[in-house]
Amino acid sequence: MRFRFCGDLDCPDWVLAEISTLAKISSVKMKLLCAQVLKDLLGEGIDYDKVAKLTADAKFESGDIKASVAVLSFIFSSAAKHDVDSESLSSELQQLGLPKEHTTGLCKSYEDKHSVLQGKLRETSLRLGRLEGVSWRVDYTLSSSELREVNEPLIQLKLQTQGAESGSTETTVVSVSADKFRVLLAELKQAQTRMNALQ
Amino acid sequence: MLLVLSEEHKEHLSFLPRVDSAVVGEFGRIALEFLRRGSSPKIYEGAARKLCVPVETVQRGVEGLMYLMTESSKHMISKVDFLDSVLVLGFGEELNQILLQLYLQHHSEIRSILSQLPSNLPGYHNLEWRLDVQLASRAIRQQVVPVLTMRLLLTGGGDGTGELSRRVLQTDPGTLLHLISTLEGALAAIKTNHARRIFRNIK
Repeated sequence: MRFRFCGDLDCPDWVLAEISTLAKISSVKMKLLCAQVLKDLLGEGIDYDKVAKLTADAKFESGDIKASVAVLSFIFSSAAKHDVDSESLSSELQQLGLPKEHTTGLCKSYEDKHSVLQGKLRETSLRLGRLEGVSWRVDYTLSSSELREVNEPLIQLKLQTQGAESGSTETTVVSVSADKFRVLLAELKQAQTRMNALQ
Repeated sequence: MLLVLSEEHKEHLSFLPRVDSAVVGEFGRIALEFLRRGSSPKIYEGAARKLCVPVETVQRGVEGLMYLMTESSKHMISKVDFLDSVLVLGFGEELNQILLQLYLQHHSEIRSILSQLPSNLPGYHNLEWRLDVQLASRAIRQQVVPVLTMRLLLTGGGDGTGELSRRVLQTDPGTLLHLISTLEGALAAIKTNHARRIFRNIK
């Protein structure tokens, strides 16, 4: 059976198994649990004490709590990844056996946070060597050990990037003469025009 | 199978019958902590002072006990074989029973610790990817070049610590299709008759 929220693939077995675990808690508690899981996916952290309280009535063990959080995370992130609208998600979840009230609650939470979730996923997409900061300084060289009167402007650029392989911040310092800098600026402006044309 | 203990090992373990059973239980606990986290000399010194014996004797006794446990867990020997192997040492019945209880309680934990030891190959952890299309570069405009960039995260590997190592890879669609078909071929190899025959014979 192909499911859109799984990217037109079969639903993983563990998701099927844990959907029946989810059905054990009441639909009100389910909606609150969805809110907690969404907070976690948006990077705001999850309050495990609240989750434990929500699942205490249904007497979930720690394994069940982890499983229900995992299955909700999977459903939300996978549905946002494949840009599934909430009616399709609702019908697919009901096909998998999640009761109607739980599905309605889940899809309502999904619909509310749909675009925010996609924005967060877009942010965390792979990017190599992200530019974190630029600082510059213009100097004027008066003279040097080679020539008594130099009288030329010089630009010092400090680029802070996130290393592609290491993932930690790397600093590059470059000094550029006036002519070279004009070339650099012209090329970057051309690239910027192209980027603006695409947006 | 029976464990064959070396003379030196037997000598180290000969310390054990000289102390009473509560102390042997305590030594067992220290030995297991050693396996889990490593030993500290303070523990041995404290025990040596209480029993009025030199520190090395205590240390050798605990290490001998730990070695006995790891060897027994490694070969997964049965209760009877364990008792027979320990009989060689000539300990009393009570001590044998204590050692047996120690073995039975902890052998699965010891096996899981031992299984984590040989980890020298990097293992797959995660793969992040992005699909880009290069439209223009400084040298040439009006291009359409699709490129897949991947970051492969691997666990362990060379340094042996829990650190993740990263590799950045780039590929064009043709190579990607070839990569996918090779990996699917590898998966399909599990379903051949030859592989199935081998799987049936391993329990």
